[in-house]
Amino acid sequence: MNDPFNIVIVGGGTAGWMTAAALAAMVPETMARVRLVESDEIGTVGVGEATLPQMKDFNDMIGVIESDMMQQTNATFKLGIEFVDWGYQGSSYIHPFGVHGDSIGGVAFHHQWLRALLAGEDGIGNIEDFSYAIRAARSAKFDFPSTEPGEINSTYSYAYHFDASLYAAFLRKFAERRGVQRTEGKVVDVSLNGNTGNIETIALESGDVIAGDLFIDCSGFRALLIGKALENDYEPWTDWLPCDRAVAVPCQRADTDLLPYTRATARQAGWTWRIPLQHRTGNGYVYSSQFVSDDEAASTLLAALDGEPTADPRFLNFTAGRRKVSWDRNCVAIGLSSGFLEPLESTSIYLIQAAIINLLKNFPRNHIEPAQVAEFNRLVDLEYERVRDFLILHYYANTRDDAELWRYCRSMQIPDSLEQKLSLFRQRGHIDIYHHGLFSPASWLSVYLGQGVRPTGYDPMAENMPLERTVAEIRSTGQRIADRVTIMPGHDDFIRDYCPATAPEKVMARLGAAQ
Amino acid sequence: MSRKVEKILIAGRDAAAWLTALACARALGRTGVKVEVLELPSLLSPVDFYATLPTQQGLHRLLGITEDDVLRECSASLSLGQRFANWSRGNSAFMHPYDSVGVEFNNIAFSHYWVKARSKGLDVAFEDFSLGAVAAKQGRIVLNRESTRNFTKASHGYHVDAGAYVRMIKKRAMRMGVRFTATQIEDVAVEDNRITAITGADGKTFTADMFVDATGAEAALLSRLEDKANFASWDDWFLCDRMMVASGKPLTPIPAFAQVMAMVPGWVSIHPLTDRTPMVAVYNSDYGANDDEMLQTIVSLTGIQLSDDAVASSLRQGARQRPWIGNCCAIGEASITLEPLDAIPLHAIHTGLSRLITLMPVDADRIVEADRYNDYMAAYTQNVRDFQLAHYKLNKRFDETLWDRCREMAVPDSLAYKIDLFSQTGTVALYEDETFEVENWASVFIGHGLVPESYHPFVDKQPDPELINQFQQMLKFIAVEVSEMPSLMSQLEIQSPQASSARF
Repeated sequence: MNDPFNIVIVGGGTAGWMTAAALAAMVPETMARVRLVESDEIGTVGVGEATLPQMKDFNDMIGVIESDMMQQTNATFKLGIEFVDWGYQGSSYIHPFGVHGDSIGGVAFHHQWLRALLAGEDGIGNIEDFSYAIRAARSAKFDFPSTEPGEINSTYSYAYHFDASLYAAFLRKFAERRGVQRTEGKVVDVSLNGNTGNIETIALESGDVIAGDLFIDCSGFRALLIGKALENDYEPWTDWLPCDRAVAVPCQRADTDLLPYTRATARQAGWTWRIPLQHRTGNGYVYSSQFVSDDEAASTLLAALDGEPTADPRFLNFTAGRRKVSWDRNCVAIGLSSGFLEPLESTSIYLIQAAIINLLKNFPRNHIEPAQVAEFNRLVDLEYERVRDFLILHYYANTRDDAELWRYCRSMQIPDSLEQKLSLFRQRGHIDIYHHGLFSPASWLSVYLGQGVRPTGYDPMAENMPLERTVAEIRSTGQRIADRVTIMPGHDDFIRDYCPATAPEKVMARLGAAQ
Repeated sequence: MSRKVEKILIAGRDAAAWLTALACARALGRTGVKVEVLELPSLLSPVDFYATLPTQQGLHRLLGITEDDVLRECSASLSLGQRFANWSRGNSAFMHPYDSVGVEFNNIAFSHYWVKARSKGLDVAFEDFSLGAVAAKQGRIVLNRESTRNFTKASHGYHVDAGAYVRMIKKRAMRMGVRFTATQIEDVAVEDNRITAITGADGKTFTADMFVDATGAEAALLSRLEDKANFASWDDWFLCDRMMVASGKPLTPIPAFAQVMAMVPGWVSIHPLTDRTPMVAVYNSDYGANDDEMLQTIVSLTGIQLSDDAVASSLRQGARQRPWIGNCCAIGEASITLEPLDAIPLHAIHTGLSRLITLMPVDADRIVEADRYNDYMAAYTQNVRDFQLAHYKLNKRFDETLWDRCREMAVPDSLAYKIDLFSQTGTVALYEDETFEVENWASVFIGHGLVPESYHPFVDKQPDPELINQFQQMLKFIAVEVSEMPSLMSQLEIQSPQASSARF
């Protein structure tokens, strides 16, 4: 048996603790020792309070008990994302975590739906009526999906909203209990091997020097290792994603029902988020500094709150894009150090998770093989590009004429890959199915339609079914969903039964005690 | 206003033409689309055969063809995989089964566990952990059973008589209302990068909204719309330039797999049918084989006496970068010409036509689907080409000029990358649009002697005694299950009594 591999994680935000927790759960101590260095002085960005359904797979994989996690992070359930005023002002659509109907006559539901619509059928115009997740979301209801494939309530999945800093704290406890060693301190120096260029040690302000075989850079935007020490360039995608700032502020929970979805509202110079947690609501404005000042952005955000703010607005600068190489030599960048894509589709935590999974898949034995580095980078690149195109679609496909940002986005040159997708959707409702990575056809469908991209045709094979039968099938799908959603419990009630939050101060006290 | 595709004209011959015709008729006939075939003289000889992958069963389901139909009408037999022999000196033959090998454990592919066990002295071949491979070697076939559900795909490909297969498809296409005219192409009229009409031998012209070029390697339609550079030749990678198909008496019992044997100038494969045994040789004429000598070589390698109807032809591997231009989509050899290794040629037809149907234009005047189709086919083509090339690249026939060249050649980056990753870490990199899965790549890599230097570290989470125990259990399970599977011969008797009794 060889000596355990020494893994040093730099940075303890969401990315750092997710990585630490996953390594602690998945890698035996005989194989790797995990150490995390973080400084209490440096705040974490704490983005990604809203997640995607893959989050559940991650928690299940490492052995997190869902109700515990939700209780301790003030979490709520999430069935999708509502986009308000995006395609045009006054519009609203939900990108659901679930499909729209089942295939009819061997042809995807939405083709049959388009056909019926183009044939002038009444009363089926809203695609949302055929998504279980959307119906449930709009009614502020929640229940676990059925595991019986034939059941109408098996056609969705769910994610979480949570307090990201509490989630990091939760995972810290989880990881420390499983042997991860935490070191408090600020990294002041990184020394490289003269021959290999590998990182040999990091030096802390305290004078401590920490050696490692593999370093994981979770230092956020600063990218202390992958960027500063190893000098890997960043590829900006700002031509396509012009937002470069965000301002965030929590507010008191509104008196209304706890909504099981995130809301993203388009604004003059970007968009604002609303993320409902059990004890508060997270809010923020992602904007382009070209089109609005910080002050204006903050006042727009504050004016839109549906509760009293509970903290001062916090500002954040960023550049959309990604690190050209995420794994270089013996350093893997995970989280913001490897790239930033605005949280419009809640992909921040997903991208952390994808990097962790790919690291586990390509986990080094006693030394790092160049081929596994290449494979990790190939898989991470794929994820970033897939997400990028999907985000651009939200900006590009708009008909808003009221603000400079939206006029710019409408006329910008988009990547060829997206151009081709759009043209095929417009012409015939075609959506590609990927074997790897995000997003599913249902996601693309909801955003295309929601942003006002209307197909003029559909799969010719749809016409194999007599129109009346197709329409009957579509209507009955809508009815089955509506009927089933009626008897679901409310989201509020469900949370109260399943995972009522421990009062925040108690959580903090318990976490403190655990340290 | 968009104008619907009302008529699809398929110009061509043999499997590419008739499979496309039947598939289009089945998929779109009820919507009022007319499907017509301009049938060119067949290029098939009585000796010709097709080998299919298990996925052909999916196509058959869509076409309304049952397995019994295939067995009864095409002298067909079932194939559970391909056995590769003589691809290395010293190493024994190996089976690439159309089945899973072992079981994934803790999210780590079985091959990693096997690599570890082997490094600890295990002397059982990778394939022996596959129900399909073990059954194949014993002349049995794998049936779907409750007890084996998590352990096998219970899948098989076919070997079919080519002429009979085409007749079977054609008969059904005609029953579906596909019209056909047997003719030659005299002229292809082109306007604005689109085909407007095809003139047949008797001067009759044929028009359509969408044309399919199933004419074979000559690409009689598409070649009118492209420049020469559209055909990317793979001469640098595939060194064999000739192909001979021959036939011999049926084997008893019929092997449940295809056998592919490397030889000095190339390789020879055997694809048993119920009433005869087709063989194909793919070779380079510069390396000691003219066609006459090849006849002798086939006999001495296979031990099968040949009937005197062997046919030799030249071979040029490559693919069109844009198989769909304007209103013309090439299917089969007009799109991609590959050697008959790994049962890919028929699969390429299947893939081409199913993508065409998925993307059948909705507006005959404004076709936007071609780019997507071409991108897809490019990815597909690269992946299957790499799979074939892997056999050549990984050969271990040292000191033979052809094989040394193959081993030393620079393969495409996409394949070099896969080989590197596998040999360093035991992990298979899969790209988008792969035909073959992780276990297929692992079977072929390991079979050719590319045993990874390492395996996934998490394999060590399992204590060695537990691993040994699990391997033993697995082998015992396979032995018991396979002993209860029917023999291929008895299964053929049940499913296709006429065909098999005719042999006795």
